[in-house]
Amino acid sequence: MSQQSLNAPGHGPEDSGEDAALAGGQVFASAQAADDLLDEIDSVLESNAETFVRSFVQKGGQ
Amino acid sequence: MKRRVGGLETEFGLVCVREDGSRALEPEEAARELFRPVVAMGRSSNVFLRNASRLYLDVGSHPEYATAECDDWWELVAQDRAGERIFAELTEQANARLAEAGQGATIHLLKNNVDSVGNAFGSHENFLVDRRGEFTRLPRYLLPFLVTRQIITGAGGVVHPGEGEDGPARFVFSRRSDHMWEAVSSATTRTRPIINTRDEPHGDPSRFRRLHVIVGDSTMSEVSTHLRFATTDLVLRAIEGGRALPELALHDDIAAIRAVARDLTGAEPLPTAAGSTTSAVDVQQRWLDHVTPFADSEEQDVLEQWQKGIDAVRTGDRTWAATHLDWAIKERLFTQVAERRGVDLGDPAIERLDLAYHDISAEHGIFAALQRRGQAPQILSEERIEAARSTAPTTTRAHLRGQVVAAAQELGVDHVVDWTTFRLTRPGAMPVQVLDPFATESDEVEALLAEIRGTDGAPDSAPVA
Repeated sequence: MSQQSLNAPGHGPEDSGEDAALAGGQVFASAQAADDLLDEIDSVLESNAETFVRSFVQKGGQ
Repeated sequence: MKRRVGGLETEFGLVCVREDGSRALEPEEAARELFRPVVAMGRSSNVFLRNASRLYLDVGSHPEYATAECDDWWELVAQDRAGERIFAELTEQANARLAEAGQGATIHLLKNNVDSVGNAFGSHENFLVDRRGEFTRLPRYLLPFLVTRQIITGAGGVVHPGEGEDGPARFVFSRRSDHMWEAVSSATTRTRPIINTRDEPHGDPSRFRRLHVIVGDSTMSEVSTHLRFATTDLVLRAIEGGRALPELALHDDIAAIRAVARDLTGAEPLPTAAGSTTSAVDVQQRWLDHVTPFADSEEQDVLEQWQKGIDAVRTGDRTWAATHLDWAIKERLFTQVAERRGVDLGDPAIERLDLAYHDISAEHGIFAALQRRGQAPQILSEERIEAARSTAPTTTRAHLRGQVVAAAQELGVDHVVDWTTFRLTRPGAMPVQVLDPFATESDEVEALLAEIRGTDGAPDSAPVA
């Protein structure tokens, strides 16, 4: 959209800036951080993954 | 339309479990617990908030959040993320009450689209289009784009082989593709279409109509959500522009949408109505090339990201996509976790991981954990998302609705509000109707605000909680 983004301070150049920072951070992200994440995921998955999945039943929406 | 209003409706999945994962409360009961503060505030489970959004409980006990009307797609993403925060807080409060009552139960709210037995629920995009445009002509051009845009903005996921099919579970761009049954229709549930013809413009029906796109996945990545709206808006603008358009009508939209979901190369031939073939990558590239002249300077980043998304599929190099687009973030994560555990993608652990990715809780959610480690995008600042929880978009009618709700809440004045109409519930109160979604000023609303503030006479003393 092309209207003047009165309320969009996070729009435009700032985004690409943060984007670039993110991409840069990605490159240098330590293997430690990735391992931490996988450990965190393990703790979620250890606790009865299959039972949790089966518990999630809802009628359709929309 | 050069300037367009849009909004996003999100239905959340709801599950309430004990520590062992077994179901603690039925969805109806859990939803009632979740909405307790909402009902206390608005005496209803269907309320409009200060940020002009609508928060309600939909059929099937789905908590639903509809953003206010936005005319800027980053503002829309901020409003959508604000809705996640609002529901995350309600969930935390409900869980605290359950703990206090010794229930040993935890509610999880999932911004996803399908439960464990295949019930589907939606993420519905609404675009305001000009009534004068030929709506009958729109689907012919829009459908090929919508069928294939999942290679950019799909949420990713795993599907199991169907009855009579062989082979392992496989990763797909979008699981929602399997829940689509028609191209265009008025149905929403049984024979769910890609474009729903519901025509509720929430505005002057002689000027506007509503385009209701219900093929989208609920996206966690701000980049994915933004691209859903920004690319579709560009395509609509090109169609409305009236120049010669890419003729890419597909022979069978529903067969194609399922094939595209499963083809991670984006290269599989898709039969066209004209008797030739195209591919998902080809359709997206041709639309991107076609709309490029329509994009203004602020939209260059949209074109760039769209191209990067297409390239990720075409070349197989996921470097950029795996930290920006939901499907690619998940593809990498699921592969890593499956390898680490020595299981295939059909393992229940991967399905649990998929649910955790969409869990909106800062504590339980894997998407939030990825963001904290810089492995998923965080474009909008914390301040902006927090502000959007209580501040309506300022460039549309939402600004007026937000002021009415904020003033009425502050002063405890009973009121009824919907998308177009604002009214106090005191006897003799006249409704104020604003039929222009672009309106940000209105004398009638000013008068209503004065009435709420009691500056036109004595206020009714009926404080709401």
